[in-house]
This record gives sequence, structure tokens and C-alpha cells, in this order.
Amino acid sequence: MPGRVTKTAITELSTSPSTSRRIILVGCGAVARQFYVPALRALQNAGLVRVSAIVDPSVTAREIVARSFARAGQAASLEQTTAPAGTLAIIASPPGFHAAQTIAAVERGWHVLCEKPMASSVSAATDMIAAAQRHQRLLAVGLYKRFFPASRYIRGLCRDWLLGPLVEFSIREGGPFRWPAGPSFFDRAQTPGGVLFDIGVHVFDLLGWWLGEPAAVRYADDAMGGLETNAFVELDYPDKVRGRVHLSRDWPTAQQYRFVFERGVVTWKVNDANGLTVQLSGASASLQGTLVAAQAPPFLAEPRPLESHAQCFILQLCNVVAAIAGEETLLVPGEDGLPSLRMIEQCYAHRSLVDQPWLTSAEAARAHEFSASVGVTS
Amino acid sequence: MKVAVIGAGGFIGTRLIEQFHLGGGPTVVALVRRPSSLALPARFSLETHLADALDIDAMARAISGCTAVIHTALGDPAQIERMPVALCLAAAAAGVRRLVYLSSASVHGQNPAPGTDESTPLKVHQSLDYNSAKIRAEHKFFAECRRHSLVGFALRPGIVYGPRSRWIGDLATDLIEGRAWLYEGGRGICNGVYIDNLVTAIACCLHATDDAAGAYLIGDAEKITWEQFYRTAAVHLDVSWKQIHEITRLPAFKRSWQDRAGRAAAHPFVQRLLPLVPRGLKSRARAVLSASALAPRPDSWTIPDRPGPRITQEMALLQQCAWKFPHTRAEQHLDYRPAVTFETGMERSFAWWRFAQGGVSFAA
Repeated sequence: MPGRVTKTAITELSTSPSTSRRIILVGCGAVARQFYVPALRALQNAGLVRVSAIVDPSVTAREIVARSFARAGQAASLEQTTAPAGTLAIIASPPGFHAAQTIAAVERGWHVLCEKPMASSVSAATDMIAAAQRHQRLLAVGLYKRFFPASRYIRGLCRDWLLGPLVEFSIREGGPFRWPAGPSFFDRAQTPGGVLFDIGVHVFDLLGWWLGEPAAVRYADDAMGGLETNAFVELDYPDKVRGRVHLSRDWPTAQQYRFVFERGVVTWKVNDANGLTVQLSGASASLQGTLVAAQAPPFLAEPRPLESHAQCFILQLCNVVAAIAGEETLLVPGEDGLPSLRMIEQCYAHRSLVDQPWLTSAEAARAHEFSASVGVTS
Repeated sequence: MKVAVIGAGGFIGTRLIEQFHLGGGPTVVALVRRPSSLALPARFSLETHLADALDIDAMARAISGCTAVIHTALGDPAQIERMPVALCLAAAAAGVRRLVYLSSASVHGQNPAPGTDESTPLKVHQSLDYNSAKIRAEHKFFAECRRHSLVGFALRPGIVYGPRSRWIGDLATDLIEGRAWLYEGGRGICNGVYIDNLVTAIACCLHATDDAAGAYLIGDAEKITWEQFYRTAAVHLDVSWKQIHEITRLPAFKRSWQDRAGRAAAHPFVQRLLPLVPRGLKSRARAVLSASALAPRPDSWTIPDRPGPRITQEMALLQQCAWKFPHTRAEQHLDYRPAVTFETGMERSFAWWRFAQGGVSFAA
């Protein structure tokens, strides 16, 4: 959970803009309550932002969020909200609404931070980017895992070959679905995919950021007329690097990214923002630890742990606010939301039904019939 | 035929829906408590509803138009006791006459006396709260069925194993971690039933005559010992038999003060009062309870040892069982025939387990 962050800590994380940025929070569901509310509260207490409006069709949902932002106005829809140009709209509604709300926001002169997945489809995301460019507004995507020190470290290993070239990797993420989701999560009109469309967005975003585009992708899932709860991906990259991904909302997985390099193996626990385990080739044990700031001799001070999970979420908000003020480069612009969406569309377009070996042969045959009826994202 | 499944996101509900939906069975209406529980039912294109198993109005709305309701929902002991009344009231309000309630063989205790069958009187005061709750729940279920002229079937399966069963998942973990154990060589009887056989029994209840209503023990055809159950699992997992701890003396199980506090907190009266207690006080009480539940830090001057056996009171009782529950009554009145053998059931269970571990092969 995002925790308390002092102004001093935030200014260490990011350059402080000179004035507090006005914020409109659109969508008061689980992601807003679990992430954006505590992060924005910390930033507001530090004087860096000011939440001026809360938007959601549900009065109950708005009231819950409003407890943290007593001075913010409330509205059922974006159309009923007024704010000056330059306001930052955070779009945290179900994905089916992202494109329309983002386009409406930039047309009003607002900047946008859109929660992942950026849109229901690549074409909708492209429209969002075009609208932001047309109105010269900033569009950012909520892919905050790029801010994890561990993500940045793995990127360095993959790109700079500090442990030699990458040989293979496996990613296993997810478990019994306990996210306090609303019914929109399982309504195809609002959320057009299952587990791949959810945590798969982060996985594909990180993979793209670390390794670039794969040469070949194979995909299978267990959707039998509905939304997948287990997704399996096999990816081939140039230089014979092969990766496997298993995402689940069904049964506990290892919750682990495992990258095998020529001179060592690096494992990363899902969402452990600043922790890694390294096994150097030939060494008799693995080294598990927290990433700390690189130190210059003579090492007088205690090493300072790099940012935690909650701080990374705040860090992304700080980056967006600072980028609007022209004080920083936007680290995850709208264009960066496209590759993971493209990958997801490619997977759905070429999906096959995964073998579920406990089904009888008659059930398996029927499962294939139902599976063929599963639509691709549109 | 259209049937409602309460607890559709759970282990039994999940396989039940798979079998009915993929096997040309009745049309399923899936009921779950919260949206997140839709993850598994949502794999299919089904009618789904959000309805808490204690919310009579929500359930009545959701089951309206169904021929029967199958109740597979879980809960804590207090909820277990209250659920059958809510179920029957909802069914009566919605005009659904036939109910299949998933009870448990635990109503006879984990270590029943030889000769136990459905006619054996149930002893309400048992060492496990779950058993006592299931007995009271069954009593209430049949009482409410009589009151509302409903046709009620209560199924009493033993160890339900299969895909997504805790008996498979937990056993696999214990075997791999070296924490599995057997008491006196595992000679106790494992009253197992493969999930598909249980679903067969449920389907039998949907088609049985009204006068067949009542309670039924449900099991596999074979008489299996815990040693056979564990040995088969170890073979499927490729775990050495030497990994399994041999236990000749079981520990005494005493109820801790934390258990008593948790039990008191679950009481309906306390649950009604809880909203009046300040949030800070509740948080502090929870913090004290969780801190006291933590195992004491080991002395740093200890010799590293292999992982110890994970012995629970429930499993300790189960492994002392010397009686194979009969399902003769189900055979006679429901025409129940457990078609899946133990061997096939375990094969499918561990095929699922490998799937859950990501062991999926892609076509070239």
C-alpha cells in the first residue's frame, strides 16, 4: 500500500514544481482507492497537487474517495466538470471508457494520465495520442512499474549485458483473484479481456522496455466463451532467446520473474520494487538483497534503499506533474502504451485453447467449440 | 433445465460448472458473493449474479426461473449455520422447489465409529467447530425445507479431491517442501471422492424423485488408505517416499486463546455489535491477535533441521479413521454410481496441478 511520504522525501524523488497542480480524478473504483487516493493525498499534503474534482457515476464510490479530499467537487460525468486548461485529469475508470474520456479531457485543454490498460484497442489508443497531439496536451500512461529500481536494474542487465547476454526467461505472475474489483472487470463491454488484458499489460510493457519486440509469439488461454483466467505465452527473440509467461487469476503462481543470463540468474519477486536475487554462475549461493543508492567512497553514510513500491507510484505522478511544468521529460508518454496493447491484440488474434487435461474428451471437444466463439478485442 | 449454483467461484462450483456447461448438462446460473469471485465462472458465457449467500432478496432475484438451486458456498462456522435458512427463504420466495445442499461427511466426525451411515445420530458437540456448524446447518436445512415444502437433498462427501482441491494443492506443497506426514504408516481410511463423482451425485439429486429427498453420504467406489493416497501423489509429483515423516504419536490439540477470541468475534451477536466499535480499537485488537499468533523467533544457537511435519488437528483425526463411509443409500435412492476410479481421479488431479504450475506445452 502506498504509505506516508513527506515533502522532503518527494522532493528527493522528483523536482518539485513551483505551484500545486490541479487534479481531476476520473473513476473512483478499486485502482483509484488503492493507489491514486493515498498517492494524491501524500502529494496534496506536501503541497504539490490539489485534487479539485472527483468524477464517477456512482455516488457511493465518489463519497468514499471524497473522504480524503473534502474540498474537491463531485460530478457524475466528465461533462459536468469544469476546470481550467492545464489541469491534469487522471483517468482511472474501466478501460472501455479510457479513449472517450481522454479525448474529451484533452479537448478541454487538460493534460491526461491514463491508467493501464491505456485503451480497449490499439486503434482507440492511437486516437487518444492523436487527440493529445492535436490539442498540444500531455498524455501519460500509468505504467508505474517502469519506475521500480528493480525494473531499471533488469533493463540495464538486458541491454548492457552486465551478466552477459540473456539466454532465456520465465515469468509467472498472479494467483486467486482477490482484487476488490467491480463487476466491470468481467463485463466485456467495459473490460474486453481477462488476465492478459490486466496484468499482461505490465508484463508486456516491461518486456518491451527491456528486450524490444519479439520475433515470434505463441499464445493460449482458457477462455471458453468468456474471459481468460489463465494465459500462457511463449516468446522468441533474436539470438535464440526464448521466454515463457504464465499469468493466472486462478491458482497461486511463483510470483516471480526469472532471467537467465550467460553469467548468472536474476530473480525478481513480483512488485518487490527494490529487491532482487542474483545467482552468479559458478557461485555456491544466491545473493538476495535490496537495491541501494550507488555510493562514492569513502562510504561514510548508511546506504539508502532505493524507492519502494508505493514511492514508485508517487514518483510517476511527480514525473507527470513535473513534465507538465516543463521541468522533466515525461517518462511514460502515450506512445509507450501502444506496444503492450499491440502484443495483447496479437495474442488474442492468434489465441488457441490451452489443453486442460482434467477435462473428459467430450468436455474438451465442447470447450474447443466455445473457445472458437471468443472474440478478439475490437 | 436451468439450475443456480451458489458459490460458483469455489472449487466445487468451478468443476460443477465445467461439467454441466461443457458436458451438455443443465443451463447454469452462477451466483458469487463478490465480483472477484467471477474470475473462473467468467471463462464461460454464462448468466452470472452477485448475491451473498446470506442475502435472501438478492438470492431470490438471482434464482428466479431456475428449476433447482445447488448450494456450494463456504463460510466461517457462524455463516455456515445461517446459510441454509437464507437459502430456503430465498428459494421459497423465488418459487424454486428443489435444493441440493453441500453438507459434509464431517457431520459424523473425521474419525467415525465403524458402522456409521446416514442413519447414525449426529453429535452436535465436536472437537472441530466446522463439524458442529455443518451439523447445525444440516438440521436447519431440513427444518426449513419442511417448513416451506421444499425438496431438499444434503450431500455428505468426504475428502473431495480433484482440480483446484486443497487436498491436492496442500498435499503437493507439503510433499515438495518435505512437510507431509503419515500416522502409523497411513493405514487410516481416506474417505475420498473425486470431484466428478460428487458432481454426478449432484446431477442425480436434480433428477431424483421428490420422495428421495434426504441426506446422502457420497464417496468413491474404492476403499483407499492415506498411505495409498499419499503414495499415488508422491509418484505423480516424483517426490521420494523417504521425504514423508512417519508419525507414531500425535500431539494434543488445545484451543488457543486466539482461537477462542476469533470464535467469539465470529458470533452473530458480536458481528452485529462490531460496527459500533471504533475502527482504531478494532485495528489494535487485530494487531495484537496477529502479533501473538506469530511463532516465537528461534534461538540462534540451533542446528538447522529438515522441515518438520505440518500436523493439523483435522488431518490428525482423519488419519485415524478406520471406517469407509458407505454410499449404499445414494446408490439405492439416487442411482448414484461413482464412474471415475481413484486412479483416474488422481491422474486428472495431478494433470491439473502441473497445469497450475505453468506446465503447458505449445503446439509446434
